[in-house]
Amino acid sequence: MDGKVIVVTSGKGGVGKTTVTASIGAALALQGKRVAVVDMDIGLRNLDVVMGLENRIVFNIVDIIQGKCKLKQAAIKDRRIDNLYLIPASQSHEKNVIKPENMVWLCSKMKKEFDFTLLDCPAGIEQGFKNSIAAADQAIVVCTPEVSSVRDADRVIGLLYARNITPKLIINRIVPKMVESGDMLSHDDIIEVLSIDLVGLVEMDDKVVVSTNTGTPLIMQKDSKAGNAFQRIAMRLDGHPDLPIENPMDQKGFWKRISKKFSRKN
Amino acid sequence: MKINALLKKLFNKTDSKDVAKKRLKFALIYDKLEIRDDMLGNLQQDLIEVISRYFEIDKKSIVLDIQRSDECSALVFNTPILSAKRIQEQPAA
Repeated sequence: MDGKVIVVTSGKGGVGKTTVTASIGAALALQGKRVAVVDMDIGLRNLDVVMGLENRIVFNIVDIIQGKCKLKQAAIKDRRIDNLYLIPASQSHEKNVIKPENMVWLCSKMKKEFDFTLLDCPAGIEQGFKNSIAAADQAIVVCTPEVSSVRDADRVIGLLYARNITPKLIINRIVPKMVESGDMLSHDDIIEVLSIDLVGLVEMDDKVVVSTNTGTPLIMQKDSKAGNAFQRIAMRLDGHPDLPIENPMDQKGFWKRISKKFSRKN
Repeated sequence: MKINALLKKLFNKTDSKDVAKKRLKFALIYDKLEIRDDMLGNLQQDLIEVISRYFEIDKKSIVLDIQRSDECSALVFNTPILSAKRIQEQPAA
């Protein structure tokens, strides 16, 4: 059976697409799936450093498309997690060397080799975005609880609909304390504005910075809240769509709950 | 946190996230209304063509515009009608 191609996109830059791609990819591989993550940001690759595989790049996605190497030669195997592979972006080419039809060809090959192919889409809605969505079966839109990010997410969601893809949303970098004090958009607010289905809520977590510093997979850090959230998202993508989505909370104290109930009534 | 929330209620301050939500909603509505420059021109041409089948209109004083307010937006087409066309003059469509 053919695998799935999922594009991770956001419109706005810096909301955590690369972290999301790397973490969900790692989690799916740990669940026993064959997974490839593809860096689609030609000229500005990043997924390799986030995954700690930057020293092992020989070939890249442009080399595959130009026929300079085979898919298997360019795919870097992660040594810590079985069945996880990275296809790095080229650092020296222009964005326009890849065309949407090239991606359709590449993804049709990747579907034969991998259960999941995750495409880490560059920011923006230009060529890199068009290439990324050209061959995708599903889409994950990442946003943070900020006005600018939600607005860009809306734009991207519209463009995905135009390609007949119904995306799902990950809200990243939630600060529960600020949501509870009314100084950050809650996930309910964002869903209401965007009218889209959620696939996960991810709390702001310092461990993301630490794991990026060292290039180790976030989900291998035991007590990472964000890591746990990504693991649950991976399960939802892989046959457990109804796994409940936990709402990040500051503390689960008695008084907090009481005051929350109280404020809802108002 | 709780005390902050209480103080906010006492002084009747709105949560900043509510401001954010409101601004977002408007921004999204306006984003969707943004149209290409030539689109209104083309629409005006098409409208004139259709209306001219049935009415004599003053083509020079036609106004086509999108009007926006906080609550809604409307496409406004304003044309003076000189006379209705005779039935036999209608194109056999």
